[in-house]
Amino acid sequence: MTPLELILGLVAAALGWLAWRDWREFRKLQRWAAQPRLTDPPEADGEWGEVFNDLHRHRRATLHRRRQLAQLIVRSRRGAEALPYGVAVLDGKYRLNWCNEAAHAHFGLDPERDRGQAIGNFVREPEFVEYLTAGDFSQPVRLESTRMRRQTLSLQIVSFGQEEHLLLSQDVTGAARMEEMRRDFVSNVSHELRTPLTVLSGFLETIHDLKLDATRVRDYTGLMVPQAERMTRLIEDLLTLSSLEHAPAPPPADRIAIRPLLERVRQEAVALSKNRHRVLLAVEGAHDLAGVEGEIASVFLNLVTNAVRYTPENGEVHIRWRSGEDGAEFSVEDTGIGIDPEHLPRLTERFYRVDRSRSRETGGTGLGLSIVKHALARHNAVLEVDSVPGKGSRFSTRFSATRLLAMPREAKV
Amino acid sequence: MGATEHISTAFEADLDTTRTRVLQMGGLVEAQILAAINAYVTGDAELIRQVIENDARVNGYEVAIDGACNQIVVRRQPAASDLRLIMAISKIVTDLERMGDEAKKIAKMAKQLHDQSTPTAQRFPAIRHAAETAVKMLRQALDAFARLDVAVAAEVLKEDSEIDAEFKSVLRELITYMMEDPRTITPALGTVWVAKAVERIGDHAKNVAEQVIYIVRGTDVRHTSFEDIERELSKE
Repeated sequence: MTPLELILGLVAAALGWLAWRDWREFRKLQRWAAQPRLTDPPEADGEWGEVFNDLHRHRRATLHRRRQLAQLIVRSRRGAEALPYGVAVLDGKYRLNWCNEAAHAHFGLDPERDRGQAIGNFVREPEFVEYLTAGDFSQPVRLESTRMRRQTLSLQIVSFGQEEHLLLSQDVTGAARMEEMRRDFVSNVSHELRTPLTVLSGFLETIHDLKLDATRVRDYTGLMVPQAERMTRLIEDLLTLSSLEHAPAPPPADRIAIRPLLERVRQEAVALSKNRHRVLLAVEGAHDLAGVEGEIASVFLNLVTNAVRYTPENGEVHIRWRSGEDGAEFSVEDTGIGIDPEHLPRLTERFYRVDRSRSRETGGTGLGLSIVKHALARHNAVLEVDSVPGKGSRFSTRFSATRLLAMPREAKV
Repeated sequence: MGATEHISTAFEADLDTTRTRVLQMGGLVEAQILAAINAYVTGDAELIRQVIENDARVNGYEVAIDGACNQIVVRRQPAASDLRLIMAISKIVTDLERMGDEAKKIAKMAKQLHDQSTPTAQRFPAIRHAAETAVKMLRQALDAFARLDVAVAAEVLKEDSEIDAEFKSVLRELITYMMEDPRTITPALGTVWVAKAVERIGDHAKNVAEQVIYIVRGTDVRHTSFEDIERELSKE
């Protein structure tokens, strides 16, 4: 073998080795590159090693960033999930991309199943359909939900990014009801005051314009007095109500002698009934009540006079007081006309009338039960009503044991 | 289902738009029924007027959707499940329109009952309850249609018997009233009409649910007992 041949042979061998090494490293890289996310890049010496190290560092940084972004997404999803609003993310054609738990509750949307469906397929209330077609989203739209009974929702579409929208929804039932009550209250007060006032001014004009003899004048003024009384009663009730509402401090714990108070209430009921009903009083237990006498008296009186007013002739009204170690219960039960269950939740609203024509002729102001509710609340008690239409009603309340005082000796029978 | 397979084609877009319009019509009918029942309970004249007036919109939807269905059949000549969808939509729309008519009927009856100043005892809480069940059935049937969900559709079929039972109990109660006091006969008859309308609404909701099963399974489950349907559906 000549030296030249030897050199050539060595060179060939070296080249062969180099080629073989490159091919081997290249295969490693290729294998790794097929699934770069799962494994680290291969390791090697020399220049291949440097390249692999760079890849390694790059992969680490990418993974780190990816984890951070994933956490950010999770965090913002959780944030959207925790919002008290319904949030639905829609695409440019108002198709669902994602929604949170509240949106699910409001519209029955399922973020997985309903993805890609038009939002109008599930939010079908006509008001919303109109809102969507009109395309003016500057104001929210309010609608009665058909999915949730008697709930009012406020919906608004907010556009963001390129051709993307958010549908925000909020349960505004409470606010809507308050608004309605306030509107009703103002119109009711005006109406209740205007009716007697119209009568009064009518008579006044007559007396002023016509020359009437003294007896006629007396007749007319006689008719005017009850109207004036009614207005006075109404204003007194309004003042009572507002003083109850604006005095949230717990009432001083004065002793209220229960037996004499209940006896007085019974006599008033008998007087109002003019012996057309049987009014029965039963008192059990030897406790007095701690509270404000005027307020408790008006609770008892209101409930008892209501019972008399709404019970037909020959009916019965039972007034019961029972006190013991566990507290006291006051109840008024009648055999009257009863109340439809649909009215029960609204009974204590001011001027709420079950039957408009009836209650005014019986002389109520429409404020009695509101006063009862507020006065009881100040004594930590709640009004309960059970009623069967046509059979009768039972109004009751419980006072806690902490409000009871043992009756003084001489009062015990 | 079809909607996710080839979203981009104009044909799919046509189908999707029509589907959404059916559901919107359904939403209007839901609202009409609820309003009609409220009008029956409260006698609110404005509400009564609105329900009667809005029925024209329900009818408008029916005509428009039917027209769209015809267009699709003529221009696209759909086959298999797409054809079933179109056929079913055409029937569902008819049922929805009838439900709208029933709502209008209830509103008209509410007007009559309140004009006669019927005593409050004649407004039955049971009817409101049955009506709420009927609206719930319709809502479920529409949701089932949107999702092509056979399980929910089958549930609707079952609920219909609840309304039928409630209708019968209202009838019995009314009979006792009429026997007690002949003056209640006129308003009681009016109430029967309202109850019957509610019962019909339940029937139509059931039809819609049956169409959903037809779209998905291709089986006609009309006039089949619920047990047989359940057996049929559990096969797959």
